[in-house]
Amino acid sequence: MPELLAYAKWEELTEGAEREVTIGPLTRTDFVRFAGANGDFNPNHHDEIYAIRAGFDKIFAPGMLQGGYLGRVISEWVGPGALHTFRIRFSAQAWPGDMVNCTAKVVRQYEKGGERLVEIEAEALTQSGDILIKSHAVAAPAS
Amino acid sequence: MPLDPAVLEREFPEFVIEVERGKIREFALVLGFNDPVHSDVEAARAAGYADLLAPPTFTRQFWHENDENDPMPHLGYDPKRRLHGEQEFEYHKPLVAGMTIRGRNVIISTREKEGRRGGKMTFVVIETRFVDEAGDLVQVARRTLIETAAPPKG
Repeated sequence: MPELLAYAKWEELTEGAEREVTIGPLTRTDFVRFAGANGDFNPNHHDEIYAIRAGFDKIFAPGMLQGGYLGRVISEWVGPGALHTFRIRFSAQAWPGDMVNCTAKVVRQYEKGGERLVEIEAEALTQSGDILIKSHAVAAPAS
Repeated sequence: MPLDPAVLEREFPEFVIEVERGKIREFALVLGFNDPVHSDVEAARAAGYADLLAPPTFTRQFWHENDENDPMPHLGYDPKRRLHGEQEFEYHKPLVAGMTIRGRNVIISTREKEGRRGGKMTFVVIETRFVDEAGDLVQVARRTLIETAAPPKG
């Protein structure tokens, strides 16, 4: 059996605690594989000719690909079972060749109704510092 | 284009997702998950789950959606100006392989605002509540779909 991941404990997730994960560079194959996984066949994500005719320079990543990456960065940090809410806001398109530099940060560590919680803000930036997406999560990591 | 009031009042039928191990593994592999709870049944069980655990964004998939049960194609949005603005999840119960969940899409809010360079922007929020076989709430998903402002004429 593969070894289970050791998630961060609530006590370690003090305000300002950070996790950085670098993903990429994105390839067209990543987009197509993701389309196969989630069934989003918007041609702007796999059909270059269609995307160019629609006024884009080339195809671009489905937003939920970057959203899924941030979900992974947070869930592998605090544990997937700890997640209460996860909210993603899409800012810009990611293009083939882009890096997806993810940073997640604890912005609040607190107790509420006997539960030990953290609020996390995470964002993904390209190599040039453009924000692709921002996200927010509330989680109850194990103590 | 202004939203058709008939669409806002329309009731969309329930749909079903049979949560399969293969689909969970594929999702986790594509997104680069290292956590074996999404790919190894023994590991998932050792971590306290009945079977492979779905990654956090698993329910935002299009395979079960069609013109009947999804409000999106009925919003009258111009496909060239349509954006997925936000996506939100609330987790109530672990979603694992072998479960059959039912979801229903409901338009919970709509809003229009003037675009910065003229024209109207439209925001629609669609909420999907997923319940398990016992009728217990598993997840709530909300997506905000935006039609960006039409470019000014001339």
